[in-house]
Amino acid sequence: MKWLHNLFDSFRPHFEPRGSLGYLKPLFEAIEFIFFYPAARTASAPHVRDPMDVKRYMTIVIVALLPCIAASIFFFGPRVLLMILVSYAVGGLVEVAFSCIRKTEIHEGFFVTGIIFPLILPPATPLWVVAVGIFFGVFFGKEVFGGTGHNIFNPALVGRLFVTIAFPTILTSGWTAPGAWRGAVDAVSTATPMALAKTQAVLTPVADLLMGAQSGSVGETFRLGIIIGGIFLMLTRVSDWRIPVSYIGAVFVFAFGGTVLGGLFGGAENAAAANGLVAGAFNFGIFQVLGGSVLFGAMFMACDPVTSPFTRNGKFIFGIMCGLLTVVIRVFSGYVEGVMFSIVIMNAVGPLIDHMVLSMRYRKAQA
Amino acid sequence: MNLKNIFGKKGAKTIKNGIWREHPISSATLGICSALAISNKVENAIAMSAGVIFVLVLTSVIISSMRKLIPGRVRIIIYMITIAAGVTIVDLVLMAYFPTISEAMGPYVPLIITNCIIMGRAEAFFIQNPPQHSILDALANGLAYAYTLLVIAIFREIFAFGTLLGVKVTPANWVDWVVLAAPAGAFFVIGIFLWITRTVAGIEPPGKG
Repeated sequence: MKWLHNLFDSFRPHFEPRGSLGYLKPLFEAIEFIFFYPAARTASAPHVRDPMDVKRYMTIVIVALLPCIAASIFFFGPRVLLMILVSYAVGGLVEVAFSCIRKTEIHEGFFVTGIIFPLILPPATPLWVVAVGIFFGVFFGKEVFGGTGHNIFNPALVGRLFVTIAFPTILTSGWTAPGAWRGAVDAVSTATPMALAKTQAVLTPVADLLMGAQSGSVGETFRLGIIIGGIFLMLTRVSDWRIPVSYIGAVFVFAFGGTVLGGLFGGAENAAAANGLVAGAFNFGIFQVLGGSVLFGAMFMACDPVTSPFTRNGKFIFGIMCGLLTVVIRVFSGYVEGVMFSIVIMNAVGPLIDHMVLSMRYRKAQA
Repeated sequence: MNLKNIFGKKGAKTIKNGIWREHPISSATLGICSALAISNKVENAIAMSAGVIFVLVLTSVIISSMRKLIPGRVRIIIYMITIAAGVTIVDLVLMAYFPTISEAMGPYVPLIITNCIIMGRAEAFFIQNPPQHSILDALANGLAYAYTLLVIAIFREIFAFGTLLGVKVTPANWVDWVVLAAPAGAFFVIGIFLWITRTVAGIEPPGKG
């Protein structure tokens, strides 16, 4: 490694403010940082004792995503890798350009955005749509607000929302059938489990949902891998367990409770009908949790520490409201999936939730 | 061709201010509402700009020539009546000669009355300055409004409909960006326009300057 260190040292003068490539200093530092710890040391207290920095957090998230990525390549073919590549290239360009203009260091937050974005798109999304989406997400979702740590909305979701609204036909039709790329199935594209449930009232079996052999967004179908990755994130304390747990719990409770209430008001008088209603509602609740992208959204996007509340009670409120909105949008609106909308809406009111929680706590302490 | 030789020192300054330095949309953020709503197609943008320029000039002539007669307490009402009269003329002309454009613009023609550029220039400039300068100011501000609308509309029409003035300009496999056809999409385009022009003109955001 000594020669590599010398190589960096020999290049460094060019990237100093007066050097010939001074305007690319952030890029140089970012590349150096991949191999070595930064040369800068904290000069005065507090000194950093834990090597756990933003880069390590991001690495852990990517490790947690690996099962989903592997499964998505298995289901939807090497095209997924191409989508990730495009996402990284375009988004990285925006990130580097802004860092060079602002003369700040390049933040590692982008590594997660760049990999999550292709995972929440339909598998047949054209590559130029991936490029437009990630450009918009990073540009308007993050850089306009001041870069990593200053964004109000999850950048990947901002990009996804934009392409959904801008290219509705592409984004609602690209549901490649899993395995179609290696000729394992005849169908080229099939309806997603959520669409089947909405239009034909067909609930996909739980085991199928867990193993992920249905159509859906690239990274959302292998639910077992998502659950494992999500638990890994919670155990390493990278994500707070409160948001995923309350989100997923709320989706189940509202789907189950809503169906039961609806059935009771619809007139299920005798005992047999009531029993059937409860069993049906239970199945519906489980389906609402496993189907679509609730798991992926809850485990990897809702709990993003930048865009979610920081108070503990606020996290519970955030998760429960996300769950309520998801069920409401899924059941009552024209859209088949509501995870994306619910998380973005709750991102917007996240700071308000924090404010409410803090002021209530403060009032109680004063009284 | 020196502006100063033709319009005099003050006239040249008025024109420069209106068109660039005190640009009504990017500097004063006036007239944003109609700029968002009506800039989805170039022909609408042209019709809207023509209407606004006409009303602006009419208002500037009437207000600035009557400026010594208008009592301060009722000046806003006088502006409104003048502007409303001009807008009614525009509305009727559009309805009579360009019915399709009139239909496409719908309520936005009568809403020129509430266009803050006209009201704002009347209060800021026409009421204090003689007609010759006021007309220059009205033209400059109107032109600034017009070219802004045109730039945004050209961008939006190409991306959202694949056309320019109704003529197809994009390749056959072009996919329309539906979001830019809606007023919501205009926010992004106007945002970038404001960003670029403010950076170039060196206008500080409020609160920082």
